[in-house]
Amino acid sequence: MLFNSIEFLIFFPIVTLLFYLLPHKFRWLLLLAASCFFYMWFIPKYILILLITILIDYTAGLLIFKWKDSPSKKRTCLIVSIISTCAVLFIFKYLNFCSANLVALAQHFGWSHPQQVLNIALPIGLSFHTFQSLSYVIEVYRGHQKAERHFGYYALYVMFYPQLVTGPIERPQNLLTQLHREKKLQYDNIANGLRLILFGLFLKMVVADNLGAYVDQIYEDPHAFSSADILLGMIFYSFQIYGDFFGYSSIALGCALAMGFTLIDNFKTPYLSDSIQEFWRRWHISLSTWFRDYLYIPLGGNRVSIPRWALNTLIVFTVCGIWHGANWTFMIWGFAYGVLLCLERPLRSIHIFDKISSKSGKSILKGLNILKTFIIVTFLWSIFRAPSFDSLHQLYSALYHNFTQPMQLQISTIVWVALILFILLDILIRQSRFDQWCSQKTGLVRWSIYALMIFAIIVFSSVQQYPFIYFQF
Amino acid sequence: MKENTKNTLRKIGMKLLLLIAVLAVLDVLYYYTYYPKDLKEQCSLINLSQKPALEGGDIIYLGESSNHSFCEADSDQRYICMMLDDLLPDHKVCNLAKDACHAGVFYDIMWNIPQESAVKTAVVTVNMRSFSSEWINSDLETALQKEQVLMKQAPALYKRLLLAFKGYTHWTEEERGHKVRKDLKRQRFNIPDFPYHNASEWDRALGKSGMLFDGTYPSWDTIALACHYIKDFAYQLDDKNPRIKDFDRIVKLCQERGWKLVFNILADNMDQIEALVGPELPQLMKQNNQYIMDRYQSQGVTVIDNYNVVRDADFFERDFPTEHYTQTGRLTIARNIAEAIR
Repeated sequence: MLFNSIEFLIFFPIVTLLFYLLPHKFRWLLLLAASCFFYMWFIPKYILILLITILIDYTAGLLIFKWKDSPSKKRTCLIVSIISTCAVLFIFKYLNFCSANLVALAQHFGWSHPQQVLNIALPIGLSFHTFQSLSYVIEVYRGHQKAERHFGYYALYVMFYPQLVTGPIERPQNLLTQLHREKKLQYDNIANGLRLILFGLFLKMVVADNLGAYVDQIYEDPHAFSSADILLGMIFYSFQIYGDFFGYSSIALGCALAMGFTLIDNFKTPYLSDSIQEFWRRWHISLSTWFRDYLYIPLGGNRVSIPRWALNTLIVFTVCGIWHGANWTFMIWGFAYGVLLCLERPLRSIHIFDKISSKSGKSILKGLNILKTFIIVTFLWSIFRAPSFDSLHQLYSALYHNFTQPMQLQISTIVWVALILFILLDILIRQSRFDQWCSQKTGLVRWSIYALMIFAIIVFSSVQQYPFIYFQF
Repeated sequence: MKENTKNTLRKIGMKLLLLIAVLAVLDVLYYYTYYPKDLKEQCSLINLSQKPALEGGDIIYLGESSNHSFCEADSDQRYICMMLDDLLPDHKVCNLAKDACHAGVFYDIMWNIPQESAVKTAVVTVNMRSFSSEWINSDLETALQKEQVLMKQAPALYKRLLLAFKGYTHWTEEERGHKVRKDLKRQRFNIPDFPYHNASEWDRALGKSGMLFDGTYPSWDTIALACHYIKDFAYQLDDKNPRIKDFDRIVKLCQERGWKLVFNILADNMDQIEALVGPELPQLMKQNNQYIMDRYQSQGVTVIDNYNVVRDADFFERDFPTEHYTQTGRLTIARNIAEAIR
């Protein structure tokens, strides 16, 4: 079920109402049933794939906990669990990609190799719940989390509907613990939850979808547009993907909060970062911390020699790229971030900030760094957005050659206003979250904001269907 | 109930009331600002509804592509409604036809025609294919459903909300295929001693029997066409069919408005159907045709039975079932309608 669908507008209040009406001991059952219903709204049979992952990691968690005093058995169990869970992900997400590349490689050498194609659409959100499931097994292995004996609660931890499809990728210490705790009806939770949902819908439906219409035009046929159009399209995509994903995360947080659950904040004004490193601390936080805790630190993190650290960084970001999708463009996108981070570290040691004494000078330098980071991120988003290297080549070729062409894109005023509002709001809420920021305002201001957002969502949203970008991952 | 919970519920109730008030204000605001623009841009059907009031005309002609499809070789490329207009010099025919439309859409167009229009007679096309699951669940339906949203009898802001949140039928390709397959299996035929009980069995038998090789069909394309005919016409019409419900609503609406109602059953290529599929399908089609005649004539509707009046040579599309006629075919249909109206 999509958050921006009429079905969800009916589903959400019913589930939330039932949640508070039921006694605590039955709530897990309601939420699990609701989550299954939510997931099965897309393609019902795919729930079986999810069930496989749940069964593997539930059993692994119990066994690891049982063998907590036997390191070798524990480790074997962890490895089997990771391999099995990743195998499911590999089969559904990467098998066709690997097979196609093997065929291409075989053809290059003149060998004959039949292509194995799995004719199945990627189950929605597979990468997200795979990672969430893995984090549980690893935390149990590390002794940070007790194994969950109640299968229903564990299944709910993986399937909790607000964050099932596109995250945030939760940790068991946060979500699983909360699922056990009884939630009381609190006005603030309901109000803040609804505020976040409203904000999320605004970002998705008014900002992201409207920008998406222009971005799609540019990427479909870049040669029909001038260089200025293409640059604008690339910048628009930066805000489209941010609005889209931040919107989804806000709605997810809001739905959970309305029932009293607190999920991880996924974004903290990423486009105000003054370095690539900072960008990754503020963008898709639940994923970047996942990679930090479960891949980067186990590889040695930064407590190793510089060449080894650089290798670790490249590995982590290349894997992060592949996590996004089975395509070389994603891999290069991730690898490029790895390279940039490797280059950034020696530059940071120059301590240029210390050499500037005036406050205004520091502000200007910070501003320039923010601009530089935004330009780099925007440039790299073009690799992420392009369906193939061929279309990426088309885009850059048009960008290079069409300098003299006049601008073609007719951007509506509504889009500009929505974009400016988004940027302003993003700056205003940089120290908190939309719901918290909003709750500090007077009633009149608050309700004016609600009215404006409701009106914009209903009246200015695109009538085209744009699924959330991160659904494909 | 605890005092805290009571207070919370009271607060939520108050805020809900406030929200309703805000929505009511926003509805008025929308109605006078962006609603007319949305109607113009998102709902071409509403523009059709306004035509009788703007252009005049005592006869409205509601149809689909059969009205305006013509063959390049035609020396007379007039639409059916234009021919009808020429055949009825004392009347003015207003064209309200649009591609892929069906009774559900016709009803919405008719309902939105302003009361002050001079309409006296409504000629409504009855395309027998439109009762089939293939058409009911066709991929063209999403666009029509979307347009119909703004034509609903509801507050303007609510209709725009339905548009924004996709509150209309929008099946995926997979869902659409699944529904069609289910429908083809579900409807059982009323043909004695016929080996196939439903369209699915019939279609599969025809497609897989290898008839190509015994010389029955000249090519796979011909078999595909025969299968299309089965999927489009092999159904048993009854009052559960959603189109029948739409036609019933049209009858009621015309009675309320005092309009004379004429149902124009379109001709299908019976020659080709019989040659490709055999006599059973025309038999089934005749049953369905009779069902329409009996049902609506008994309700005072003038039903024109054009079912078998156009011959094979006057259908210009050869590889897909359509009701696209050459000038001779269109003129035959127009004449029959004119005859019924006079």
